[in-house]
Amino acid sequence: MRASPLLFAFIAAGLSAGAAQAHHSFAVYFDPGKDVTITGKVTAFRFTNPHGTIVLDVVDDQGRTREWRAETNAPVVLQRRGWTRSSIKAGEVITIDGWASRDGKP
Amino acid sequence: MRLAVMLAAAALAIAAPATAEPNLEGFWNLAFDATEPPADMLAKLPPDTVVIEDTGVVEFPENEYGGLRLKPAALAKAQAWKPEDEMDLSRVCLPPSIVYAIQGPFPFEVHQTPELIVLKYEYFDQVRLVHMDGRDHPPADAPHSKMGHSTGRWDGDELVIDTTHIAPSTITNNGLDHSGSIHMVERYRLSPDGNRLTAIQWFEDPEVLDNAGARVIEWTKRPGEYVYPYECDPAFALEYQEAGQARE
Repeated sequence: MRASPLLFAFIAAGLSAGAAQAHHSFAVYFDPGKDVTITGKVTAFRFTNPHGTIVLDVVDDQGRTREWRAETNAPVVLQRRGWTRSSIKAGEVITIDGWASRDGKP
Repeated sequence: MRLAVMLAAAALAIAAPATAEPNLEGFWNLAFDATEPPADMLAKLPPDTVVIEDTGVVEFPENEYGGLRLKPAALAKAQAWKPEDEMDLSRVCLPPSIVYAIQGPFPFEVHQTPELIVLKYEYFDQVRLVHMDGRDHPPADAPHSKMGHSTGRWDGDELVIDTTHIAPSTITNNGLDHSGSIHMVERYRLSPDGNRLTAIQWFEDPEVLDNAGARVIEWTKRPGEYVYPYECDPAFALEYQEAGQARE
């Protein structure tokens, strides 16, 4: 059985001078002092406000596949930067830079 | 002849229109290169007011309130708040009141007439009416709403908006809530070139706070742009619920 621990990360690519955060506060869920970089195959992409989410399978150093979830900036903000619902597709392999979740759970 | 000229000049002076108020119409986006707020605007803040530094993209983590002094009950409630409680289908898309909504980096549109100014916010698709016709606020027990009841006036070149009847909601998005008795006053000033808008938001809530709070917010005008639909999707809460179940 595939382990499915979940670690929320935040796409730092969306956190530039133009970042915006919705009612769901990033500051209480994620730690801006803990950067995380992951590479994996996308299994799902949801692009609706307050935040988009990307689900991807990441293979760790031991060859185990773990499911990660990342939250994006508000899609209404990303749209002004050219993002659409099709910007990320299932099956694609992507790399995400973000902040680790504060609870630190895998 | 000289008397006729004098009378004509006097007539022209009387007929001349008053100086027009600043035109705040347009699409305003958060200024990520914010300038120092005008000292004279800050000087108008009432005593015992703290300027909290959570505007734009900045957010306070739990147990940080930027210098606001919370009454014991409010502090206990804020400390007991759990962020995961917001990740519920019934709560995740609850819009915040204008007290918090104004601080964020989402843009808004201004539509201005002498009698009414309409502010259309992208954040949670909220719309706010500012009555410029001299009316009073309704009675204290009138219905409250997230946008509250706003009346406005011009104070020289500044738009002053007074808002009451704001329904309880968050102040700092980390467990600190205001009551329905909160009172908010904003001052807006347009830059000489008309491309920057500076606001100083002030609020007091004697039921929750021992001091008053303020924020300084600056926007830049972006001609041709407009507010997009926000249309919050409550299914976002399921992401957290699924994650929580997967960890069990």
